[in-house]
Amino acid sequence: MRLRRITLQHFRNIAFAELAFTGGQQFFVGANGQGKTNLLEAAGFVSALRSFRTADTRVLIAHGQPEAAVACDFEHERFGATRLVIKLRPGGKEVWCDGEKITRLGDYLGRFPTVVFSSQDQQLVRGSPGLRRRWLDFTLAAMDGGYLQALQAYHRALTGRNALLKRGAPGGELEAFERPLAAAAAELQAGREAGVTGLAAHVAAAYARIAGEAEKAGVRLVPDVTAENAVAWSGLFAKNRGRDQQWRTTVAGPHRDDLIFTLEERPARDFGSEGQQRSLVLALRLAQVSFFRERSGVEPLLLADDVLGELDPGRRRRFWSSLGSERQVIATGTSLPDAELGAWEVFAVTGGSFQKTGGGPTADHAVTTGPHEF
Amino acid sequence: MTPAFERLQQHLKQLPGVGFRSAERIALHLLVEKPAKLATLVQALEEAARSVRRCTRCGNLAEGDRCAICADERRDHRIVCVVEHVPDLVALERSGAYRGGYHVLHGKLSPIHGVGPGDLNLAPLLQRVQAGEVRELILALSNDVEGEATCHYLTQHLPPDGAVKVTRIGFGLPSGGGVLYADSVTLKSALDARREYS
Repeated sequence: MRLRRITLQHFRNIAFAELAFTGGQQFFVGANGQGKTNLLEAAGFVSALRSFRTADTRVLIAHGQPEAAVACDFEHERFGATRLVIKLRPGGKEVWCDGEKITRLGDYLGRFPTVVFSSQDQQLVRGSPGLRRRWLDFTLAAMDGGYLQALQAYHRALTGRNALLKRGAPGGELEAFERPLAAAAAELQAGREAGVTGLAAHVAAAYARIAGEAEKAGVRLVPDVTAENAVAWSGLFAKNRGRDQQWRTTVAGPHRDDLIFTLEERPARDFGSEGQQRSLVLALRLAQVSFFRERSGVEPLLLADDVLGELDPGRRRRFWSSLGSERQVIATGTSLPDAELGAWEVFAVTGGSFQKTGGGPTADHAVTTGPHEF
Repeated sequence: MTPAFERLQQHLKQLPGVGFRSAERIALHLLVEKPAKLATLVQALEEAARSVRRCTRCGNLAEGDRCAICADERRDHRIVCVVEHVPDLVALERSGAYRGGYHVLHGKLSPIHGVGPGDLNLAPLLQRVQAGEVRELILALSNDVEGEATCHYLTQHLPPDGAVKVTRIGFGLPSGGGVLYADSVTLKSALDARREYS
C-alpha cells in the first residue's frame, strides 16, 4: 500500500498539516524536537491503532485540545483508494474506514501494515524479554485475529487470577480462573511456536541480504514453561498454586516467555559483535515486512525513524537495496540522506510545521495550513 | 438553574446511560414542559420500589415471592438456564425457544472489579440442585474469561455424582448470516461446536 496523503490535526506538536506524497519515498529533515517522529508516529498508528512510542493515547493529543485527528489516504492492494480517519480523545479512539466505523479491532488489524525502524530497536537484542515478547505478539496478532484473541483472553484471565492471589482468595476461585487461563495459554503458546517458526525463515533471509556475510541468523522461542494442551496447562497452574499464593502473583506461564536471536546457533546477545547486532535488528524489522506481506498480501509501509544515519555506508547501501523500489519508505533524520540512496521527496520540519523543499513535483496542495473538516 | 434543579440533575446523571445533557433534558421535561407526567412517574417509581423484588427461587424480577416464570406450572423447572442478568433472561424468553426455568446470577466472577462468589446469587441455585430439583443446567453465561470462570466455579460446586447434566450454549454464526462475513474467531467456535447433520 502507499500513503498518498496524510492530514494531522492537534497531534502532539502538530497543530495542522496536510501532506501529499507523490513519490515512493519521503524524507523529513529537521533538528531534534521539531516533530519529525510525531509524523511517523501518526502514520504508524494506522497499523494497530496504537503508537510505537507510548501506550497512553492522551499524550498524543496537543495540550489544551479536546481531540486529535489523523486522516490517511491510501492506495491499497486490496481496497483500492481508501480513506482512513482516526480521532483520538482522552477517553478513547474512533476509526472510520471509508466512512464505515470500525468497531472490532480484530476485524481491522492487518489491513494497514506498517513497520517502524527506530533507533530504539537495538533493545530488541539487548533489552528485557518483555520487549521481545511485545515484538512477537505485535507481529503475530497483526496477522491473526485468533492469536490476538488468545493473547487478550490470556492477559484478562491472568489479571483476574493475580487479583485473586493478591487478595488471598481461596483455591476454588483461583481454579475457576485457571481454566480460561489454561485454554488461552495453550492457544497462545501454540500460536507462538508456529509463528516463530514462520518468522525464523524471514529473519534468516533478511539477515543474509543486509549483512552480506556467511553467518546464519535465527530466532527461537524460549518458553518459560510448556505444557502439552489445555488440560496439562490447568494441571500446571494448579500445581503452582501454593507457590503463587506465597508470591501473590502467577509466577510461571507464557507471560514470561522469551525469544532468543541467534547467529550460527549462538545467542547474538552474547556472541554477536556490535555490527552483527545492528544487522540483526534491521533483519528483524525486514522480516516483519516480508512476514506481513506474505500473510496479508499487502505491501507494508516502512517508517524509518532516524536510523539511516546510524548505519555505516556499506550496511546502509545493502539495507537500502534490500528494501526494493516497490515499497514506500518514509524516513526522518537530522541531515539529508546521501544522493546515492535515490530520489526523496524532502520536507523540512520546524516547530511542528512542514515545508516541502525538494524532490518530486511540488503540487499546489502539497502543504497547506488552515482549518479542516474531517 | 436553581439549587433544587441542579440537585435533581445530579441524581439523574448518576443513572446508567444518562449523561449531563440528558439529565438536564429529563429534568426540564418533567419540571417545565410536561409537569403533569411527574406525579404519575413518582407514583410508578414508588409502587415499583414497594412491590418489585427478586424471585426467591431464581433471582428474576418478581412482585410476590415467586416470579411469573417460576409460578408457571406448564414449564419444566427441572431444566435450569443460568444467566448473568435479567435482560439476558428476557432475550431468551423473547426467542420463545425455551420452556424450562431460569436462574439469574446477577453478575459474573470478576476479581478485577472485586466481584466474588459472595456477590453472586449462587446459594439458591446450589440449594435447588442439592434438593434434587434440577436435572439439567444450561450455562448461558457470556463467552469471555469471566463467564468461563463463573461456569467453572459453578460446576465445581455441583454434587460430583453426575446427577445433573451440565451443558453450555453454543457460540457460532448468527442466523441468516453467511460464512463470508463472520470473523475468524466466530468461525473457529462455530467449527468447534459443529454437530452431526441429520
